[in-house]
Amino acid sequence: MDLLQGTLDMLVLKTLLMEPLHGYGIAKAIRANSSEALEIEFGSLYPALKRLELKGWIAAKWETSEHNRRAKYYRLTPAGRKQLQAEHSKWAGFVSAVGQIMGPLPEGGK
Amino acid sequence: MLLQRLKYLLPSHRRSEESDMRAELESLAAMAGPGELGNIARAAEEARAAWGWTWLEQLWRDLQYAFRTLRHNPGFTLTAVLSLALGIGANTAIFSLIDALMLRQLPVHHPQELVLLKMQAPHTDSPAEDSFSYQIATALAEQRDIFSGVCGFSGAGFDVGPRGSVSHVEGAWITGGCYQTLGLSPAVGRLIDRTDDQPGAPPVAVLSYGYWQRQFGSNPAAIGQAIEVNSIPATIVGVSPRGFSGASVGAAADITFAAAEMPRLVPAFAAFLTPGNFWLRILARPREGVSIPQAKAHLAAVWPQISERVISPEWPADRRKEMADSTLDFAPGGVGYSYLREQFGRPLLVLMAVAGLVLLIACANVASLLLARATARQREISVRLAIGAGRGRIIRQLLTESTLLSAIGAALGIWLSWLCSRFLVDTLSGGQAPVTIDLTPNWHVLAFACAVAFANGILFGLAPAFQTTVIGRSGMLKQDTRTTHSHSRLLSSLVSAQVALSLLLLVGAGLFVRTLENLLRLDPGFQREGVLVVDLDGQREGYQDARLTAFYSDLLDRARRVPGVASASISSHTPLSGWTWTEAVAPKGQPVPQRDNAVFIAAGPNYFATMRTPILAGREFDGLDRGSPNVAIVNQAFAANHFPGRNPLGQYVTATVTNPPSDLQIVGVVKDSVGENLRIAPRPTVYVSYFQRASRTDSLEIRAAGSISQIAAAIHKELQPSFPKTPIDVRPLTAQVEQTLVEERLMAKLAGGFGALGLMLASVGLYGLLAYSVVRRTKEIGVRMALGAQRGAVVWLVARRALGLVIAGVAVGLPLAWLLSRKVQSMLFGLTANDAGVMAAAVASMGGAGLVAAYLPARRAARVDPMTALRHE
Repeated sequence: MDLLQGTLDMLVLKTLLMEPLHGYGIAKAIRANSSEALEIEFGSLYPALKRLELKGWIAAKWETSEHNRRAKYYRLTPAGRKQLQAEHSKWAGFVSAVGQIMGPLPEGGK
Repeated sequence: MLLQRLKYLLPSHRRSEESDMRAELESLAAMAGPGELGNIARAAEEARAAWGWTWLEQLWRDLQYAFRTLRHNPGFTLTAVLSLALGIGANTAIFSLIDALMLRQLPVHHPQELVLLKMQAPHTDSPAEDSFSYQIATALAEQRDIFSGVCGFSGAGFDVGPRGSVSHVEGAWITGGCYQTLGLSPAVGRLIDRTDDQPGAPPVAVLSYGYWQRQFGSNPAAIGQAIEVNSIPATIVGVSPRGFSGASVGAAADITFAAAEMPRLVPAFAAFLTPGNFWLRILARPREGVSIPQAKAHLAAVWPQISERVISPEWPADRRKEMADSTLDFAPGGVGYSYLREQFGRPLLVLMAVAGLVLLIACANVASLLLARATARQREISVRLAIGAGRGRIIRQLLTESTLLSAIGAALGIWLSWLCSRFLVDTLSGGQAPVTIDLTPNWHVLAFACAVAFANGILFGLAPAFQTTVIGRSGMLKQDTRTTHSHSRLLSSLVSAQVALSLLLLVGAGLFVRTLENLLRLDPGFQREGVLVVDLDGQREGYQDARLTAFYSDLLDRARRVPGVASASISSHTPLSGWTWTEAVAPKGQPVPQRDNAVFIAAGPNYFATMRTPILAGREFDGLDRGSPNVAIVNQAFAANHFPGRNPLGQYVTATVTNPPSDLQIVGVVKDSVGENLRIAPRPTVYVSYFQRASRTDSLEIRAAGSISQIAAAIHKELQPSFPKTPIDVRPLTAQVEQTLVEERLMAKLAGGFGALGLMLASVGLYGLLAYSVVRRTKEIGVRMALGAQRGAVVWLVARRALGLVIAGVAVGLPLAWLLSRKVQSMLFGLTANDAGVMAAAVASMGGAGLVAAYLPARRAARVDPMTALRHE
């Protein structure tokens, strides 16, 4: 499934709201939470992380993973939390607007 | 965020960021399954793009690549860089002179507010006057509701120092409000103000910062010190701010006095303060809140009253009316005043255009070099396009290369121009007054050179870049004959354009060189070789009236007795000295006109013999012409004007040499000789007997019979003891004549130099093209030779191509030269702008250069071995 422009940033922020994760973990979490529907390419995800970091919405720190491996963990900053709220309400508005138009399709409609 | 991004410009930060990213990606790759993360390098590349400096890195890589390519093609690089350096250097040198003379603002307070006053007489086409009398400057300064300040100034020369160790220092006269008008404050001490510019005020001097540094070692104790100026004690009161050396551009003033001191410091110039003398330039600052049109309107309203007050009462009525009816105009004053601007403004603009042509030729050279090389690089570029490089990316890379080339060229060019500009100032300084211009490259000049270089890089890089990449896109790796054809067509037209441009330059060079030759060869009516001139100012040594005349007579006698002197004489004026004396004159019985209509020269016995001016009728002055009756000798022009078809000998003329006018008997007629300028036909001239007129500042003329420098030294040794207060200058008359040819010499030298440069660059272009085409046609030549073509025929093949290119260039260049050269007609002398000889010589030298350029390629073509050439396939 292709992602809408700009949706990736929102997904990353939402995923990090639960817990800090490393880059690969974020990709896995998005896939798992979307019931395998969203396959995020790492080639797109990684630059997005760098972009978000540069904007100050997420922050990174080297930590040791559950398998005793060192990895860079990203977490949401307060600014990122605010940004997520803004994007979330925008998203919700968008979904409900589109939902009103689309509704259920009548059977056998032309 | 911006700060964050800027941090990535720091190499250390970027390096740590890079290694951090690498470690992170490695750690993630270790966790994920093989290939699960996709192309990691690409992810990293795009992450870097987030920093926003990728373009800079690409530029850096392009630059490195460009440097490598240039280094690997030293012949190409050298030719291109040298062509550009010469082109850019020539332009920068001329521009730096134009900048210094015409564009640079004076280092004063808000220079853009200043206006330079001009006076336009009614009903005339003559250019507006920019000289004003002291009275006008003072009266304008009183108009406080128009101007907040008025500054009158003029150049001067002073003899500074005590008896025996006098040195000549360039200086200025200013009116009292000058420094205040310009808004300057002293570096030390105080500046001249209104109280100093009053009759009887003690003479006080302001030094320039440079002079204070050189002569007084920047010692503040110099303030208050007494110095002798023209043997009059004066006090140093201050030093003007650093960088300011007067409002006259090109004539630095090291020592400045108030104009009111003139009668005391230079008694001979006492009359300068009277209303009839126009010698001050005026810079004024309109009052705050008064716009220029308002100031002009206001000035026009009050001018009739002012002019009534400041007009010389001696003037005839019509002249007084003309002045009252004159209009005062403002020119921008922020750039100060410079007589050099009038003299050299037009020549410099012509030279700028000429230098522009040189640059165009250089550009064409580089463009054709790039084009030729683009063909050679076709394969490389096709490969790069084929493996996925964007076209824009490759064009950018090629443009980086050409811009880098022109940047190197510009750097070299700026250095060259700096060398040349010294030579330019030296040439300008050959005139009557030394020229001091600061030509250290400033940001104006550097910006100009950079702009030129950048525009060039784009201009000559663009066409080859587009051409190469278009071909590449079709994906063809093999040589395509069609595109090669279009390349060589473009190349040929570039070379023909070079020929056309350099033909223009050659015609220009020919015209200006011939002008100088014509002026040098002109018979001035006297023989300048072998004559020494000594200017005398006995008033400064304290002689007056009869004693002055006796002093001069004694000097003349002593000069005559110096061994090696063939003859000597004395006169009020020497030819081409820049000074003239005019009076009104008419044959006796006719009314004397109100305006001066003849040049007057007071000449002593043997004057014409010394100058070798032929006497056509009558006699020359002799020692008996001291008493009455008053006698005169006239030139041909005068005789033809006033005594047409009659013998003027024995006739009388009435002249305003005295008041009331007196009658002079004509005792001789001499050949016309030039007075003010070699270009101006001799005007009607009346020579009066030297001893029948009061002596002032006069000159000795001495004809040497032997080595002129030895005799000059002997004269100096003989006469200097009589001038304890002033250094005397014994100079050859030839030097005085040369001084009037500065402009012509500048034009001839530079136009000639640029012509040679253009010819050389065009020849290199021609050579390059021919050499390239011989290489390209090696196979064809081999076939021809295998089929029995003689070497001569092969040579002719190349020569014909060269001639074809030259003829195409001449066909375009000649009509252009014919049209454009007329623009400089007014600067020429003794030939028309479309002089057939000059045009023919230009075409001939272009053709000759073409053949020379063809020589090496032709020889190489003739040596092609058919077997090798065919095996090449």
